[in-house]
Amino acid sequence: MEWFLDPFALGFQQRALTGGILAGLMTAVVGTWLVLRGMSFFGDAFVHGIVPGIAAAVVLDINPLLGAAVAALVMVFAIELVNRQTALSEDTSIGLLFVGMLALGVIIISRVNSYSGSLTTILFGDALGVSAQDLFTQGILAIIVISVTTLFYRPLLALSFNADKAQLWGLNPGRAHAALLVLIAAAVIGSFQSVGTLLVFGLLVGPPATAALVSRTVPRMMVTAAAISVFSVWIGLTLSYHLNTAGSATMAIVPVILFFIVLTVTRLRAIQSEKVNSHA
Amino acid sequence: MPDVVIGHDVVITRGAHVAISASEFTIPQGKITAIIGPNGSGKSTLLHAIAGLLPVSSGKLTVLDNTPLISQSQISYVLQYTTVPTGTPLTVAETVAMARYPRLGLFGRLTKGDKEVVTSAMDRLKITDLAKRHLTELSGGQRQRVYVAQGIAQDHAILLLDEPLTGLDLNSAKTIDALIHEEPARGCSVVLTTHDLEEARAADHVILTAGRVMAFGKPEEVLTNENLINAYGLGSLHDHQGADLMLPTEHHLDDHAH
Repeated sequence: MEWFLDPFALGFQQRALTGGILAGLMTAVVGTWLVLRGMSFFGDAFVHGIVPGIAAAVVLDINPLLGAAVAALVMVFAIELVNRQTALSEDTSIGLLFVGMLALGVIIISRVNSYSGSLTTILFGDALGVSAQDLFTQGILAIIVISVTTLFYRPLLALSFNADKAQLWGLNPGRAHAALLVLIAAAVIGSFQSVGTLLVFGLLVGPPATAALVSRTVPRMMVTAAAISVFSVWIGLTLSYHLNTAGSATMAIVPVILFFIVLTVTRLRAIQSEKVNSHA
Repeated sequence: MPDVVIGHDVVITRGAHVAISASEFTIPQGKITAIIGPNGSGKSTLLHAIAGLLPVSSGKLTVLDNTPLISQSQISYVLQYTTVPTGTPLTVAETVAMARYPRLGLFGRLTKGDKEVVTSAMDRLKITDLAKRHLTELSGGQRQRVYVAQGIAQDHAILLLDEPLTGLDLNSAKTIDALIHEEPARGCSVVLTTHDLEEARAADHVILTAGRVMAFGKPEEVLTNENLINAYGLGSLHDHQGADLMLPTEHHLDDHAH
């Protein structure tokens, strides 16, 4: 029992766990829609796209959340601009902004004396450095994310099904898509301090993708993804403590490993089921 | 019978491409209208415009005495099953029930009446036994029946179907075809796109497209050899005068294009 309790004996460790769980809940809910809509690449680009905002905030000594929010806006508008002004496919515009924003972030942060330390903190987070104020902000963002998701459940589901059908059902797919972008921004901005911009993507995609393998309805997929996220955060921090590895990275790798375990089990069960049916 | 759709000098563009150039046409109430024409001739574009999903660039398109956008709530549109992703974890019953969203809004719960409409739609499409199955567990034909059930479960005055029978197994095709021919008796106007000449001949009204509406009216008036040869651009390939023209296959059209 001590093996499980020791990693969370101290205040900063408990805050790390709470911050990770809040991040996991937000990313599980938002990530479900990302996975269903096939927007994983956008999610990946988005979490990197906020790096220059955070980097600028570090340089200017302002709130990193503000910097991340501004960078998120720039990222979304720039992608939309390229999409509207060119015939290039959407993944090209996302890729361009992905590289451009990440490079800009590294350039900005390279002007800081503690360059490598600051960059590492932005990309990989500082789970053990989460403050009570950070948790308060995360809590507010988590409430916003879960409330907006509940409010927009039907428009988002209809949009995942088909945008034209959503339009014909009077569910305004444009507004639902905009709401989803806000949700992604809120989840990423609310999570990067705990798990870092690079690794928040692991929680955005890993738990929902794993949940998709075993869920038959969207609400169940969300709940399963949230449970996987919370488990990943808890087991990740526990392993990190005992193995002396980076907390954020260990949290992020757990859902990816879980995905392949669940995939293997579900495939083996399907093969077994096919064998039983063929003998019947 | 009044017309439910009236197109006057209608031009529809997709980006810089003119998909339908200046066209006149009507669609009668309570009848089955088939839109037929070669690939890329503007059939689906016309359906999209009627559904209010694509604006007309010029001219006037009237649907149920209003603009398509205003009449949108009275239109149900069944897309080709190949264009709807199957990755969303939805059961057949949930998929059909989504058609009640326009009545339910963001939070309304399915009433007894809504559930009866959903059950009836599944019965008519013979998918009741599939109700708890996931969309990914269905064949293409079964999935198309689910989407048609969703289409009729939505309150509608006009039912649009984009190639509802293309690529289906015989059972699914017969079930959907029977439903299409039942709908007018329920006061609904049906508009479908097709590549099948027989299907078009079985309709009450036909619109022939080839980058514009080339002809519209009763099947025997529209589906003449001359109109079909003009629409499909076959020119002097064959002499079909007096013969019953068979629509060319895509393979033939490709050969002709080359």
